[in-house]
Amino acid sequence: MIARRDLSVRLIDRRDLSPTCFSLLLACPENVGAEPGQFGMLTCGSGIDPLLRRPFSIAGVRPGAAGATVELLVKEVGRGTAWLRRAPLGATLELLLPLGRGFNLDAAADGRPALVAGGIGLPPVLFAAQRLAEQGVGFDLFLGAVTAAELLEVSRCRAITDAVGGELILTTDDGSAGEAGFVTAALCRRSAQGRRYPRVLACGPDPMLQAVARWASEAGAVAELSLEEPMACGVGVCLGCVVELADGRRVAACKEGPVFEAARLAAHWRP
Amino acid sequence: MVDLAVRVGALRLANPVLAASGTFGYGLDLVDLCPPERLGAVVSKGLSPLPRAGNPTPRIVETAAGMINAIGLQNIGVEAFCREVAPELASRGATVIVNVFGERPHEYREVIERCERVDSIAGYELNVSCPNVDHGGMEFGHDPKQLVALTALCRAATQRPLWVKLSPNAPHLVATAQAAVDGGADALTLINTLRAIAIDPVRRRPVLATGYGGLSGPAIKPVALRMVWDVHRALPTVPLVGIGGIDSGRDAVEFLLAGASAVQVGTAIFRQPSAPLRILAEIEAFCVSQGVEEVRSLIGGLQWR
Repeated sequence: MIARRDLSVRLIDRRDLSPTCFSLLLACPENVGAEPGQFGMLTCGSGIDPLLRRPFSIAGVRPGAAGATVELLVKEVGRGTAWLRRAPLGATLELLLPLGRGFNLDAAADGRPALVAGGIGLPPVLFAAQRLAEQGVGFDLFLGAVTAAELLEVSRCRAITDAVGGELILTTDDGSAGEAGFVTAALCRRSAQGRRYPRVLACGPDPMLQAVARWASEAGAVAELSLEEPMACGVGVCLGCVVELADGRRVAACKEGPVFEAARLAAHWRP
Repeated sequence: MVDLAVRVGALRLANPVLAASGTFGYGLDLVDLCPPERLGAVVSKGLSPLPRAGNPTPRIVETAAGMINAIGLQNIGVEAFCREVAPELASRGATVIVNVFGERPHEYREVIERCERVDSIAGYELNVSCPNVDHGGMEFGHDPKQLVALTALCRAATQRPLWVKLSPNAPHLVATAQAAVDGGADALTLINTLRAIAIDPVRRRPVLATGYGGLSGPAIKPVALRMVWDVHRALPTVPLVGIGGIDSGRDAVEFLLAGASAVQVGTAIFRQPSAPLRILAEIEAFCVSQGVEEVRSLIGGLQWR
């Protein structure tokens, strides 16, 4: 386990990725590590309002001589993310990371996994793709969005997927790019055509994750789902982000997750 | 060098900053970011005789300079705490106050009786003010008659310091405080969260699954401060532990001046897990800047006129 650190970080770059999404590069004063699927809690203002940090899945960590650079992909959905979109470059933010449990990449490396990202669910999937590519593990990457303009980081995803000889499958709900329909429908089609994925790593909206879980249970695959829950602390003490497991226990997504094997989750996650 | 030690009744604390119940887990969750032994004390998550699953989600929502929660006292139960958590807290040298919760009076007593078998537990804080459960909690804290009886029942079970955490939602704050003292409380913690709701205007539904929750954070600080002051004025000899929106050393000093002998930091921990240590350092810096040599000299020092 990588030790968590609460750091003052500097906002050094921001890039628009779509009409609503952007990337942030944060310079840390020391080298930090993270596993794909882990997240950080980032301040989204300079005072007591907004009060709480926001959780963001880590999209990548690059070590450097002066300290690591952490990349986040953010969708503007409320006050905190609106502030992040307008914060001046050079601003100092507080970042607590790495938190939670990520994907089981060792297990994923045993076979050729499917990686599935919907909309702003891309960051942990992108991080996993990068890490698997570094390890020389092949995979197919399914990247879906509502419309072409909301498909994030397509060329980057293509480069990583090409490097491992995998396929990048793009889908849009409205058919404006790639295959028309849900990203999970594309997963089912590949599976029906005989492509075997022993494991699927997924992050996206809840209905997408439920569809991934359904496909996995039918295909006999293991699904690892990165869940999103409202959370105040990110460190397991507020108990705001609990997720119900198949055994009835309610566990903090920030600590036992945010990545869970679908088979461990309560029935409504496995329709 | 500022002398940070304070007393809450007979209980001596190395410093006046405590981690509040429900915001610091069982005391060991944040050891890497905020070592519990460096705090005046840690107050455990509310413990009941048996584990509780808590409320459905959503349980939390952010509001202006605050948040509303309805966790519903999810906890591991007193047995697991005493067996698995308390020994390590003791070996670290942390001062531990157990926050006690029950749906019925005898359950409060059961929790205390179990903890009495653990030497290292310093005292108890009765939760009679949780706004987020159907039974227990606030219903005891709102009725002085029930509160006297409940406090007396617990008093009979322990010689250790016994605090009662009061509800800001009770109709008569001072009468409630008096009731806890009459029942044998050594000190009063105030305040718990303020009953609140948040509404999603698009769905036309409450945001939280339970509808109601408890408001905490800087938004409630002025109310908490007023309540500490009111109780201190009415019952000047009763030790108080102040809590409500404390997020800085100055906030903490204000509570001490209003009559609190110590303070609890809660929601600020969610913002910054090491907040209690920062606040303690800021209290010390404030004392240095004001020429205050003993932090306890601030207690009740408000000059009203």
